[in-house]
Formats: sequence, C-alpha cells, structure tokens
Amino acid sequence: MAPILYYGFTLLFFFAAYCVLGWGLNLQFGESGILNFAYIAFVAIGAYIAGVTSSGPPLPGSGQSYVLGATLPFPLGLLAGGVASCLLAVLVAFIAFRRLRSDYLAMVLISISLVMYDFINNYVPLFDGADGLNSVPMPLASTLGLNANSFLIFFAVLTVVIGAFMWLIMSRITRSPLGRTLRAIRDDPDVVSALGKNVFRYQLTAMLIGAFYAGIGGGLIVEFSSSFNTSAWTVPETFIIFAALIIGGLGNNVGVMVGAFVVPVLFTQLPKFIPDIPGHPGLILNLEGAVIGVLLILTMWFRPQGIIPERVRRPDRFLARRTVAAPADAIDADQVDATASPEAAAVDAETVR
Amino acid sequence: MHQFWLAVGFGLVTASVIAVAAVGLSLQFGITNYINFAYGDFMALGAYFAWELNAGFLHWNIWVAMVAGALLVGVFAVLVNQFVLGPFARRFEKIFYVLIVTFALSLIILSLVTSIWGADVRRFNMPSENPLHIGPFLLSVDQLIVIGIGLVLMVVVHLLLTMTRLGKSMRAMSDSTTLAMTSGIDTRMVTTVTWFLTGILSGLAGVVLGITAASIVPSFGETFLFVIFAAVIVGGVGSVYGAILGAVIIGMVTEISAVFINPAYKLDTSFVVLILVLLFRPSGIFARVGKA
Repeated sequence: MAPILYYGFTLLFFFAAYCVLGWGLNLQFGESGILNFAYIAFVAIGAYIAGVTSSGPPLPGSGQSYVLGATLPFPLGLLAGGVASCLLAVLVAFIAFRRLRSDYLAMVLISISLVMYDFINNYVPLFDGADGLNSVPMPLASTLGLNANSFLIFFAVLTVVIGAFMWLIMSRITRSPLGRTLRAIRDDPDVVSALGKNVFRYQLTAMLIGAFYAGIGGGLIVEFSSSFNTSAWTVPETFIIFAALIIGGLGNNVGVMVGAFVVPVLFTQLPKFIPDIPGHPGLILNLEGAVIGVLLILTMWFRPQGIIPERVRRPDRFLARRTVAAPADAIDADQVDATASPEAAAVDAETVR
Repeated sequence: MHQFWLAVGFGLVTASVIAVAAVGLSLQFGITNYINFAYGDFMALGAYFAWELNAGFLHWNIWVAMVAGALLVGVFAVLVNQFVLGPFARRFEKIFYVLIVTFALSLIILSLVTSIWGADVRRFNMPSENPLHIGPFLLSVDQLIVIGIGLVLMVVVHLLLTMTRLGKSMRAMSDSTTLAMTSGIDTRMVTTVTWFLTGILSGLAGVVLGITAASIVPSFGETFLFVIFAAVIVGGVGSVYGAILGAVIIGMVTEISAVFINPAYKLDTSFVVLILVLLFRPSGIFARVGKA
C-alpha cells in the first residue's frame, strides 16, 4: 500500500488521540474554568504508566531501567495509565485547590509540570530519564498476527472507536447536572458556593475526569508510537492543546474536535511538508510555535468564542420544560426574575434541580 | 561544616539571581494583577541580546552588554504591553484571556529565539578567574558582582517605591487601580513604566542566570520559572518585599540542599518548600488581601 495511506492513518490516529486529550482539558478549563497549565504532565503520567505496565520488566542487557515492569493485556495497561493520572490529580487538588485564585493556581500547576519534567528527566530509575521508554510492545499485535504496517491501521481505527466511546461519555457528562454545575462554577464560583454547592468537590471531580482522559490519551500515544520520552511533554505541548480548545471553541465538545484537527494535525503536521529554506535547516519547524501563538492571539481578539461557539443554554426554555406541572404564575415569576437579573437566573436554572 | 558555608555562599548568589527575577515579576503583577507566563522567555531574550553584544555581533564587556540587553528587553516589554497585553486586559473582564495570551507569547518568544540563535548551548565571553576566599566562602569575582547587583537593585527598588512619586503611584495602583485613578494618577503611564521596569529586571535576571549557570539555551528561562514562582508564592504574590524574602529562602534552600542530595535535584527542592507553604500558609508569608 502507498505510504500516503499509512500517513493518512497516522494523522487519523493523532486526530482521535488529540480529541480525547482536548475533551479532558475542555472539561477542566472550558467547562470548569480550571487553568490547568500542567495538563501535559497528566498525559505524560498516563503514557509512562501505560508503557511500563505493558512492556514487562526492563531487559538486563538493554541498559534501560524503569519501575513497575509488568505485562498487562491491552486495555488494562491503558486503564492503569488513566487511573495513575487520576491519582496525580487528587494529589494536585489537595495541595493546590483550596483558597487559591485561578491565576495563582495556574502558577502552581505550571510549576508542577516543570518540576515533574525536571525530576523524571534526571532520575533514571523511575522512567529511564531522558531516554524514556522505547520498546513498548504493540498491543494485540501478536494475538492478531499484525505486522508494523497493519498494526498502524488497526490501532488508528481502534483509537477512533475508543475516541467515539469517550465522546459519548463526555457529552453525557457535559449535559448532566454535573456539567451545569461546573459551568456555573466557571462563571461565578462565589454564587455557586452561596447556593450550598461544595465548589472544591465539583472542581476535584472535573480534575479527576479530565485527568482520566489525559491519561488515556497519553496511553494511546505510547502504545501507538511504542516510545515516549521527556521531549514529548515540554510546556509548549500543553499550549498546543490549549490553542486547539480556544481556536476550535471553548466549552463545546464539537469545537474541541475542530480545534484538534486545526492545531495539532494541520499546524504541526503540514509544516513538515514545506521544504527547508536553503541554509536554514529546521527554521520552518522552529517557527511553527510562533505561528500557532500568533494564530491563537488573533483568534482570541477577533473571534474569542472560537470557530464553533459554546451553545447558549437558555434558562427560560429550560425552566418551562422542567416545570410543566407547576402553576402558571410560578413560571411567570421565574420569567420576571429572568428579566430582572438574567445572570443570577441563569446560574439558578443551571444549578438548581 | 566547611561544605555548609560554601553552600551558603552559593546560596547568596542564587538568591540574588532569583531576587532580581522575582522582584521584576512581582512589580508587574502588583500593578496589572495578572501573572506574566512569558516571564522566563523575557529572561532568555535578555540573555541572548547580551550574548549577541558580548560574544556574537559585537565584543562588548559582559557587564555593559548586560545593561544594554536589559534595556532592550525593557523596550520590548513596553511594546508587548502596548500592542498585545494592554488591549486584552482592558477588553476582557475574565482574567484567563490575558493569561492565555502571556502563555502564547511565551511560545512565540521561545520559538523566535530558537529560530534566530539556534538550540545550541551559548556562553558569555568572560575571562575565567580563580575563586577568592572571603571568610568561609569561596566565590569568583563574577559571583560577587552578581551578589552586588542583587543587593543594589533591591535597595534601588525599595527607594523607588518609598521615595519617588512614581513609586508611590505604583503602590497606590497595586492597592486599588480605581482609587488610584480617581486621585489623579495617570494609571496608563504608570503601567507602561512598570512594564519597562519588569522588562529590565527580567533581562538582568536572564543575564545573571546565564553567567552563574555558565550556559544559555533558549528554554533556560522557562525551566527556571518554577523557582521564581516558588519564591514569589512563598513570599506572598504581589508583595515586592515578600519576593525578596522568598528569593533568599529559596536560594538558600536549593544550594544548601545540594550538600545533602544529588545536586541535579537541587532546584526541585524549591518545589518542596512551595508545597509546604501551600499546605500551611497558602497566601504566602507576606499575604496581601485580595491578591491570593
């Protein structure tokens, strides 16, 4: 088969994987307002744990060293990655989430990402330092008798299936009362806690679910490319996912898909086809970050809602549907409220159920 | 014991580097009320400007190149505020817009620096000297100058904030921009000057970091960012004096820890201090109302 076909499936894989990563961050940032600048660290933990739990103990002659070498069958290693990422989220939330303003929290989170990077890069016994994992077996390949090429197609399709499943779960979550409460917290945490909701617990939930998505996405990436090291999760990688969310449209899962296509697939894959400027090897790839940064700033200025804006959830219509059996004057009172203070009523309608 | 005192000496050097950086970050945060996540890249920019003047295009003395490089970053910071950050901060009420923009700037600067100067390690062109024995410390002349720069800058910033009209305006704005505006302070002007100052301080910090680390790579400011953040949070976000205290604590802890643990992890200990502070006094030692 033509190389272009394999390349197409590689792109398909990255698209699906970045959708999963994007949905996770969208729940944390787009829906709940948590500026998680450490997101890529959650992806990395998922990838490392999924990698070491499926590639067995390090071989004596390979010069590699890492912890937890096990040979879990395919989906278990992936799930272990997701769960490990959740554990990190719990740890982070208990250290940093109480009584911190959102930008202050962002400082702590970016520090967590940088310190984890520094530590994993230097401490070889944990995940083989800067060399990282490089012989993660292709999942299910031996059972199904796949070679490297057919595995690529198989795993890309499998990732799309997993992605579709995770899309279903995420769209349930964002439509549920939980999703409504999270959006209310994003818009005004003080009002929500005044209504008796435990803001910390809701944000912890969002962190956990988002971290699980990050871990699964990371696990998929390590099992697809069979290697993972520290160069794959520098701070700019977090930025790529943020850029995807904002350009695609914050707070809606379809927008995230558009963003995942535009930023990680188009803007980081296409430049690889632009021929090098003579005398300046690698210049195009180095400038890629600047181009994405400028694109993001322009998007935020001229179209802050992104390509596909968040759906406006009208509180009055929502109330009318919910209170069919209620007396007519009660609905009227609600509507009067809504005109008097639409913002407060919106929070009300979003959270009270 | 000998080892310990040597480490204290290095701690003074590291504390000076962190203090210059942390004060610059705190000044700007106090006035504009948002964190500049591109700060580490401002530092890298300063180091590369100075490198170009010192070892690249021109062959100036390193300290002259340092001042010139820092002034260039100051101008750059003013331009960035004028055309990018200022408009975003005025237009959007939600703070995350401007935070994301600073994050984007960080990527843009990193990417441009890598494109212009390449990813190879660069070094300043400085004569190598034998370290001097001063009391129990063992420090080179350059390290002593770095400590001197740190001390002088702290005194200058203190005098600026307490003795000058500009400094008083800055403190007033830091308490409440609206009140400062109603009492006749030209808040736009003060903001512009503040960006110039934070640019200069970040540039100086980048150069002294490059001198003490003896190498410059495009991402070295960004990877140092968590140490600065640790100092700022330990001291109390937005408080300039807190930032100085935080810098001394973090500088000492990181260098003294290197006596007991593998020096490769010495900077990571700043994060341990950060966690302890977050657990027991989340708003920092010099807590300021409304800033955390």
